[in-house]
Amino acid sequence: MVRTDRIQVKDDDQAPVSAWIIGVIAWFIPGVGHVLLGKWFRAALMGGVTWFAFFCGLAMGGHMFGLFSGQGSSMLLQVLPMVANLGTGSLYIISWLLGSGFTDDPVQAARATYEYGTHFLLIAGLMNYLTMLDAFDLAVGRKA
Amino acid sequence: MRHFLVMMLFAVLASVVFGAMAKDDSRERFIYGVKVFAEFMVIGLMLAWILYFIP
Repeated sequence: MVRTDRIQVKDDDQAPVSAWIIGVIAWFIPGVGHVLLGKWFRAALMGGVTWFAFFCGLAMGGHMFGLFSGQGSSMLLQVLPMVANLGTGSLYIISWLLGSGFTDDPVQAARATYEYGTHFLLIAGLMNYLTMLDAFDLAVGRKA
Repeated sequence: MRHFLVMMLFAVLASVVFGAMAKDDSRERFIYGVKVFAEFMVIGLMLAWILYFIP
């Protein structure tokens, strides 16, 4: 009985608009969501990992995925990795605008670190999704 | 050697984020982060040895 009541209260909770805004900012600029919440150490750790993994990935010659980089049905295969890459927010968008990391260059693909770089870029995005969710939870008050 | 170092770097980065997100206090977070790092390394090395013997 008590347990049902507690679940009921949780369902009725609405996240404030500010928490959603923090979430969007945390996605767009990795680490800034935590900075806005005053969690500097977490911002440095979690945001820092995203930035570091992203630039490591680029330095290793990694490749980022865009929706229109494939041909024919292979375009569908690009969707999931593109969603992972998109997790880095502004970093992905700026790279896309600059054309950095999106080129299909055989010389780049032949590098020993090409696959590692590609995976670091994917992981950077996925890590930032986790960071964004953490910032959102902190903003809502689910975490301390 | 380079492959191992990159795998280790990946394990460090992933365990930092997992450790920072999980648990309630700093000590538990640190222990969880170290545990995740160790798991990444052990499983990575085990997979590498298994794949080494598969032609």
